[in-house]
Amino acid sequence: MALTGRAGLLAALGALVVLLAPDPSVAVLGLALLLAVLVAVDLLLAGGVRGLRLHRDGERLVRLGESVAVGLVVENPGRRRVRGVVRDAWPPSAGAAPRHLKLDVPAGQRRRLVTTLTPTRRGDREAVTVTVRSVGPLGLAARQGSHLVPWSVRVLPPFLSRKHLPGKLARLRELDGRHPALVRGQGTEFDSLREYVVGDDVRSIDWRASARRSDVVVRTWRPERDRRVLIVLDTGRTSAGRVGVAPHPGQPSGWPRLDWSMDAALLLAALAARAGDRVDFLAHDRTVRAWLSGTSRNDLLSSLVNAMAPIEAELVEADAPGMVSAVLARAKRRCLVVLLTDLNAAAMEEGLLPVLPRLSSRHTVLVAAVADPRVADMASGRGTAELVYDAAAAERLRGERRWITARLRGQGVEVVDAPPEELAPALADAYLALKAAGRL
Amino acid sequence: MLVIALLVLVTAMVPVLVSSPDTRDRPLDPADSSLLGGKALAELLRRHGVSVERVESVSAMAASAGPDSQLLIGDTVALSADDARAIAASGGDRLIAGHQTHLDILAKGVLTGKDVRSRSREPQCALPEATRAGSAFIGGVSFTVPEGATGCYPAAGRPTLVRHTVDGATVTVVGDSAFMTNQRLGEDGNAALALNLAGTKPRLIWLTAPEEPTSGVTGTGGNKTLGELIPDAVPWAILQLAVAVAVVAVWRGRRLGPVVAERLPVVVRASETVEGRGRLYRSRRARDRAAQALRAAAIDRMAPRLGLPPTASPEEIVAAAAVRTGREAPEVRSAMYGPAPADDGALVALAAQLDTLERQVRDS
Repeated sequence: MALTGRAGLLAALGALVVLLAPDPSVAVLGLALLLAVLVAVDLLLAGGVRGLRLHRDGERLVRLGESVAVGLVVENPGRRRVRGVVRDAWPPSAGAAPRHLKLDVPAGQRRRLVTTLTPTRRGDREAVTVTVRSVGPLGLAARQGSHLVPWSVRVLPPFLSRKHLPGKLARLRELDGRHPALVRGQGTEFDSLREYVVGDDVRSIDWRASARRSDVVVRTWRPERDRRVLIVLDTGRTSAGRVGVAPHPGQPSGWPRLDWSMDAALLLAALAARAGDRVDFLAHDRTVRAWLSGTSRNDLLSSLVNAMAPIEAELVEADAPGMVSAVLARAKRRCLVVLLTDLNAAAMEEGLLPVLPRLSSRHTVLVAAVADPRVADMASGRGTAELVYDAAAAERLRGERRWITARLRGQGVEVVDAPPEELAPALADAYLALKAAGRL
Repeated sequence: MLVIALLVLVTAMVPVLVSSPDTRDRPLDPADSSLLGGKALAELLRRHGVSVERVESVSAMAASAGPDSQLLIGDTVALSADDARAIAASGGDRLIAGHQTHLDILAKGVLTGKDVRSRSREPQCALPEATRAGSAFIGGVSFTVPEGATGCYPAAGRPTLVRHTVDGATVTVVGDSAFMTNQRLGEDGNAALALNLAGTKPRLIWLTAPEEPTSGVTGTGGNKTLGELIPDAVPWAILQLAVAVAVVAVWRGRRLGPVVAERLPVVVRASETVEGRGRLYRSRRARDRAAQALRAAAIDRMAPRLGLPPTASPEEIVAAAAVRTGREAPEVRSAMYGPAPADDGALVALAAQLDTLERQVRDS
């Protein structure tokens, strides 16, 4: 049950009546009684809310930064019209609008209400409750009740680095079989035999094949295909730190490293899938958070964003030996292990560095990390003692990053350390360079 | 909102309305020594052998009235018709000072006329009390004199002081009591007139307004507090407004569905550890560590530009940098490997020095 503003207004106007009434005490009692009776009548005449049948339709997936409409169909099987307001409650970060929906369903009919969600964070957003307030014909009182109408919307990573994909694909095609190479080199594999045409390098003539046929035949080569790329996402505490400027409003202190890493991982996966490589995905902190393997190239991106969507950075120290074991257990064949983490000297020295040889002896390892542009800004601070002290602290951190990078490279590990906006293209470039060099 | 505002207004006004009037000044009270009081007159009378009895109620006055006493009724005393009748029935001499209702009962035959200004006036009559006193500060209201009465101090032809005999009692009516107050008593013949009028009998019974205005009980009428003047319906209307506020509270208080809780992610900038370290350097004046970090960074950046491996010794780097920039080797060495700066200014200078050196290495 709920009262309305009209009931309050009526009671306030009653004060005037009391002032003018010959017997004010009786007037007060009478008014209270009248109000109670009117409210009771209104409640009786209001459409029932318990019997309403509600169900939802609409989208279940949305990219972060975009809006999605979720429909709520309200069916009124009762004998009275249901008129009032509906609140379709969602968590605050789902960005549901409008807060209140007007409802007017005649008996036996149905109406569809639309709530627009503009999520501000990645992850699954579950609808909470639908509360219906049905106002009586006098507009004095309302019946109220809540229904559980489950629905969830998965907010996917936005894949902002999509814009870099055409450029990287163009570079890939330069390596790729569109221009079959006649020179055998690193990173190429046998493609096909074709007839010799004037201008072909005579060194590429396949004499055996030419002998079998009455024509001169040359071998062509193409970049190696069907390699394996395993993207490993570190979801430990170092991924929770916020860096750079969030691409969508509502996150004043930047975007978590994890989200930037995901963005880079998506570009890499899209590129590798087009290049004909198989992409697997592992998210790990102390346990395996997500594992994606054996998806077809066409489904890869959608499977990947689905797997990534609910992952949040956990505030625990990542378990590097466990992660290496998980990778070794899953990657039987040689593959490129792309480890998206942070170049945190202390965490790396105790965690990853001791166990890295186990990994790098069997696989090619690439470590990609998001650098903090704020640290670069601080390092260039000069003029006052305050700024110079900050600059020294920033330089110290950068020195540690350089030191750990040097140690990683010393173990034969590729390192990509780039600011948030540039990490995805830098990682893609590193992948293309490895592919061109035939190190996959 | 409107209802709430109305209620606040009403509750704020109630104390103002029911607060009791100011009772410090008590005009023509024989115990009051303020300008408007009558203590000076009372003292004068006592000195002349007249005993002054101060009474606050008509019943007390009637009880102590006798043939040797005169009643003094000031204009601050509000009398009901019954009171006036009781006084008239007591039959004693009475001096009625100032404007008084029920004059028709107290002084039969004397009618009030026009209001006149109070000022110094001449007696212009044969009344010995007035002629002995001479001019006095008098006025207020003029009277119509009945047959056989004496009128003095005329204003525009009508007297402002009337002496008349009613049923054997001598009744004196004065249009204004101001000449009897402490403020006016020293002027003109005011004191003489007041003494002459009030001191005709050995006892003077002086009726003043009661200390606490308990008008409802004394039944003097017209002396109600503001609380009593508010219509009976107002408290009930306020009660009705309280009901309205309760209804509004229920209206606003009922939430449409539950509060939705959400597990929020941590919001911490990755650069906070660096900022914290910077503040720590500053608070501890760690110039040695700060300088070391700045120098190491500069050297790390310069060594590849100088064509040296990261493992190059300080001497090699200093020599190469000196050659490249054309600066003196000791100068370059003190910038790159010198002692820790002595103060914050030196640290700032060192940072600038390293920047210059680095730029020269880069640009040359």
